Order: sequence, then structure tokens, then C-alpha cells
Amino acid sequence: MNDKKLGVRDFITVGIFTAILMVIEFAFGMLGYIHPYVVAGYVVILPLASCIPMMLFYTKTEKFGMLTIMSVLIAILMFVMGMGWLGAPLIIVSGLVADLIAKKGGYRSFKCTVISNGFFSLWICANYFPVIVTADSYRQGLLEAGYTEEYCNNLFGAINIYTIGILVVVCFACGCLGAVIGKAVVKKHFEKAGIV
Amino acid sequence: MKLHIDPRTKLFMIFAVSIIVMIPAVSPATWALRTGVTLIPLVLLLFEKKYIPALAFTVLYAVAAVLTLLFISSESTGVLYALLVGYCGIIVQFMPSVITAWYAIKTTKIDEFMAAMQKMHMPDGISVSLAVVMRFFPTIKEEYGSISDAMKMRGILFGGGKVGKMLEYRIIPLLFSCVNIGEELSAAAVTRGLGAPVKRSSICELKIGAADITLFAVLTVSTAALIILKTGIVG
Repeated sequence: MNDKKLGVRDFITVGIFTAILMVIEFAFGMLGYIHPYVVAGYVVILPLASCIPMMLFYTKTEKFGMLTIMSVLIAILMFVMGMGWLGAPLIIVSGLVADLIAKKGGYRSFKCTVISNGFFSLWICANYFPVIVTADSYRQGLLEAGYTEEYCNNLFGAINIYTIGILVVVCFACGCLGAVIGKAVVKKHFEKAGIV
Repeated sequence: MKLHIDPRTKLFMIFAVSIIVMIPAVSPATWALRTGVTLIPLVLLLFEKKYIPALAFTVLYAVAAVLTLLFISSESTGVLYALLVGYCGIIVQFMPSVITAWYAIKTTKIDEFMAAMQKMHMPDGISVSLAVVMRFFPTIKEEYGSISDAMKMRGILFGGGKVGKMLEYRIIPLLFSCVNIGEELSAAAVTRGLGAPVKRSSICELKIGAADITLFAVLTVSTAALIILKTGIVG
């Protein structure tokens, strides 16, 4: 078998982990309807919640392309769930960057994996993109869809052109932190059991 | 009567419905259009004799739509309203695309899906992974149910009140079983020659029928109409 090329086994691994990731995102994503600040809080909640599957996925990643395919799948699923198409290219870009960084470390270096996971987490921020770029029409859309004035004020107070920088940095940091936590958990449970 | 719809049409349907639900409906015309499009997967569900999901969806959607129309305006505030908005927002925004996707997944056999993907010249990486994702959601649900049962039997409810433990107790076993299932799945796929470097033939013949063309036309026209109405070219 050719070592450099992706095989069916890899595609199936990607599919399984994407499914797990999406279930977690969806479960936590529903919290955003309670209060708009939670929407901004995704940058903290989601990377930490998904850190364990992500790190297990990293141990299974050995070839270039797996992370990129995962981000493409996430982009497709996000679109289907009604998140819009503006963020989709950004999701794929963050996956590609994460892939390149992990490749630089040979998919084994811990440091590169941590940074790579930080970049991969940025796909969450990509979903804020329509909120910022098309702020006016998005706001009007929400109001027309029946959201309250209060919800909108809070949402756009939390996510706007000024705060996005902070959100991206926090997201990146949480991605890195999640990688460290996830690595420890993977070590505790999976390496002992001999699954990795 | 059995209505056969091509997987490619179903994909297009998912695509069109997610575009349509993203555009907020204001005027009566857009409301009507959106409700009309929402009815399409419902009718298709009836054709497949899936009466109970269709009914459940109709009730949920109707309640949410009525609530939105009657009680929610942009001036309302308070906790109760926030919950109400949450409920209606989820139903009205996500349910149409969820039910469409659910319909597509339920009624598409995996070989049909792969054949359609091959005809559209999708790279193997995307089509195989996407097929696995589609098939895996029910598996995750099943495995998660078993894990919850096991935990209940041992009297562990919420991980002793710790959020971290709660995640750990549920996700780790889930990952264990998912990884194992993945290994088995790959073995099965390789045995059937999925990784072979030749062009695969497929047992199922895909044909575009009258129903497909009608659906295509209806969806395209309604999407276009909604976009035109929304951008206000006509009024």
C-alpha cells in the first residue's frame, strides 16, 4: 500500500469523527438560543467540549488531507443546517492551515498538534462571519424572523467588528488548551487500553 | 404508490431548502412560498408511508408558526419570551432542512448514494466520508442510548454533578465503541473492494424521471422567486 495516499480506511475514520464532532456541536449549539452571549461563548465551550474526539482523531491522522476533508464536511453540514455559505470557505481555510501545520510536525509532534488544533477550532469563528460582514441585513433578518430587539442588541453587542479579534484569539487559545486536556485524557484512557 | 426519486434530486432539495429557510420571510407572499416549500418533503414523506414523523413535524411546525405570528414581536422582552423565541427559532429555522435531510437519508440506500456521487464526479474522499457521516448519526444515537442505560443501571446520573466528569463518562465509552465500529466498517469496505484502484460499477441504475424534473423545476422557481422578492427587484 502506498503510504502517502489516502485510503478508504482514512476516509471512514474522517467520516466517523466528523459525525461525532457534529453531534457534540449540535448539542451545545442549541444553548445559543437561550441567550446571545452563549453564542459568543461558543469559542470557549465548543473547543473544550470537542477536544477529546479531536485529539483521538489526531492520533489517527498520519497523512495530509484528512483534516482538510473534515473541514470540507463540516462546511457542507453547516450549510445544510442553515448557517449560510459565507462562512464555508473560511471553515475550509482553517482546516487547510491546521493540516499544513500538523504536517510540518509530521503528525507526531505534540507542539504542532496543539497549534494545529488551535487553528482548526477557528472554524467556529467562521460561523460568525455573516453576522459581522452583513450585520445590517442579518439584524433585520433576525428581527423579521421573530427574534426580540433585546436578543439582537445583545448578539450584536457581543459579536461585532471590534470583538471578533478577541473572539478569534480566545478561540485559538481554547483550541490549544483543549488539545492539552484532550491529549491527557487520550493518554489516560486510550493508550492504556491499547486502542491508539 | 411508490415514488422513486433520484439521489441527486434529493441533494438538490436539501440545498434549495436550506437556502430558502435562510431567507427570512416577511411579506405574505414569502411566507406562502416558504410554507409551500416546507410542504414538499412532507408530501414525499407521505408517499414513503412515514405518517407518524410527518404528523409530528406538521404539529411542531404549525404550533411554532402560529406562536410566531401571534405572540412574538420585536418589542417583547423577558425570560418567557426568550424561551419562546428559542423554541420557535429552532423549529422554524431548522426543522424544514432537518426534515428534508432526514427524508433524504432515510430513503436513500447507500449504494444509490455512492452511484449518484460517482456520476457527479465527486472525489472519493468526499463521497465515502459523507456516506459514513450520514450512516453514522443513527449509530451514535444507539450507542449513546446503551451507554446511558448502563450508567443508569449503576446509578450514575450526572457524573456526580461535575461537568467535566459528565463529559468524560459519556464521551470516552462512546469513542471506544465508535472507533471499534470504524475498524469493522473499514474492514468490510475493503473486502468489498472499495479501495481498489479501478472504476467501480454499480448495481443500481440511476434514472431521472418525471417526478425528478418536476421537483427540480418547482424548487428552482421558488428559490429564485424568493430571492427576487427579498432583494426587492419586483417589489
